[in-house]
Amino acid sequence: MASQGPQFDIRIDAKGKMTVAISGVTGEECAKLSDMIAMIVGHESSREYTSEYRVPGTNVRITPTTTQETHSHIRTIDRPW
Amino acid sequence: MSSVCVLTPVIVGAWPAVAAAVASVAVSMGMSIVLPEELHGFDTTRERKKVITEVPNSDVLAEELGINEKISMVQGDTLIEISREAEGSIRVCVTGETLSKSELAKLGDQVAGRIVQQFAYHRLMEELKNRNYTIVEESVERDNSIQVRVRMGS
Repeated sequence: MASQGPQFDIRIDAKGKMTVAISGVTGEECAKLSDMIAMIVGHESSREYTSEYRVPGTNVRITPTTTQETHSHIRTIDRPW
Repeated sequence: MSSVCVLTPVIVGAWPAVAAAVASVAVSMGMSIVLPEELHGFDTTRERKKVITEVPNSDVLAEELGINEKISMVQGDTLIEISREAEGSIRVCVTGETLSKSELAKLGDQVAGRIVQQFAYHRLMEELKNRNYTIVEESVERDNSIQVRVRMGS
């Protein structure tokens, strides 16, 4: 599929909501094309990358968003006074 | 497939682009576009029900003075007027005698949705063609959704 070049499968429902499936490209190129479509059309409600997005040999990795929590420790010291 | 994007189209542009989308809506919904001088039959003294719908996410640029930023379509005794509001949004005004107010509202919503659909379709296809993409498959489904497959190159 990747050798055929980019392909868009576009569905626009009767209310105007648009779904675009991009295939034939992987990694950063796919992300760029998704950005291009969003820029042309308008608001992007959601974007989902599939397993084809990352293929061996590319440097793109999908990493889950992690939430880091910072804990504040309050120490109480028993003082003699 | 590498990614799937869901998008809500925004209508930003000049009136001629909107007018082209409205013309496509008229054809696809079996309506006729009428000129202002042909509207006399609708200016009756009989009371007509009226429903106004705003096209969401629309912002049409103001044209030169004197240009008519209004298109009228008819379907039976129902008149559908699409116009640009002063602040730039698109308004769909549906008036009729036969249809109930809820039916007129439904028709107004349908027309508003189809304007967004046609505008988004024309805009995206034009931009993709400019970037050397070609339509390889195209169909209109029973639910009136448009399906298009586009590939790079010819």
